[in-house]
Amino acid sequence: MAGTDQLSAVFSALSDPTRRAIIAELAERDATVTELTAPLSISMPAVSRHLKVLESAALISRSRSGKWRASHLESAPLREAADWIARYRRLWDASLTRLDAHLAAVQAAGPATDRTADDPGEPE
Amino acid sequence: MTTGTPQLVISRVFDAPRDLVYRAFTDPDHLAAWWGPIGNSLPRDEIEFDVRPGGFQRWTEVNASNPGLRVRIHVDLTDVADGELLDGIMHVSGRLPEGIEPFETRLRVEFHDEADGRTRLEIRQWLPEHLAHPSAEGWRQAFTKLDATLTNVHAVATDHREVAVWQS
Repeated sequence: MAGTDQLSAVFSALSDPTRRAIIAELAERDATVTELTAPLSISMPAVSRHLKVLESAALISRSRSGKWRASHLESAPLREAADWIARYRRLWDASLTRLDAHLAAVQAAGPATDRTADDPGEPE
Repeated sequence: MTTGTPQLVISRVFDAPRDLVYRAFTDPDHLAAWWGPIGNSLPRDEIEFDVRPGGFQRWTEVNASNPGLRVRIHVDLTDVADGELLDGIMHVSGRLPEGIEPFETRLRVEFHDEADGRTRLEIRQWLPEHLAHPSAEGWRQAFTKLDATLTNVHAVATDHREVAVWQS
């Protein structure tokens, strides 16, 4: 698991829709600033600034070979971000499975619960 | 606090009437019976509930398999509708697992009637604010795409189906 600082940088970098669009583009192929700018309605310097943010979050790397600097998607930090979400999903899944069993047990044991949808319930 | 799109959305149907599912979240004895992963337990004398808008829910979690842990949960309830809704900020502190710092997370739980007296639970959770400042929209879509992307990185053609991969 990456440190909180790295994760924080990743989520912050992903919080911008243009940067997410760039990520989606790079998921398919490496691309230069020119290629990335084409489908977007913003200037090339603006795209460059977004690339700097993505690079500082380690979400992309940029080749330094030759005239055309291509950006390349680094999947590991993305995976970290997705893992963070997944961990909480697993926690919920475990709890809700227990809740399911608990509700079944309560209904089997207790006095017959009124099963109508409009049951107002008991005051706490 | 976070008001944008939640990063975690879970929808699940339970074969129980709505008021009972709501009580499972708002009655201390009920919550203690199921909350958390297997092995998790809530000492009864450390559960304190005042369920109403502006109220709170507080408890401690311990786990037999890891006696060193002692997780304190304080939920500040911002929005409560009896039998229908619990929305608030959950503060997590205490002796947490290695590598986990205390954090806050907004949690919203909705209780909906389904056919045949069943109940649909809609859970929404927002990332801790220090981890994310999500824009007002696009998070779910982003993560859906990311999930699809991650499994297909550098595949010849990435399929961007809008399938909510990380949504039940």
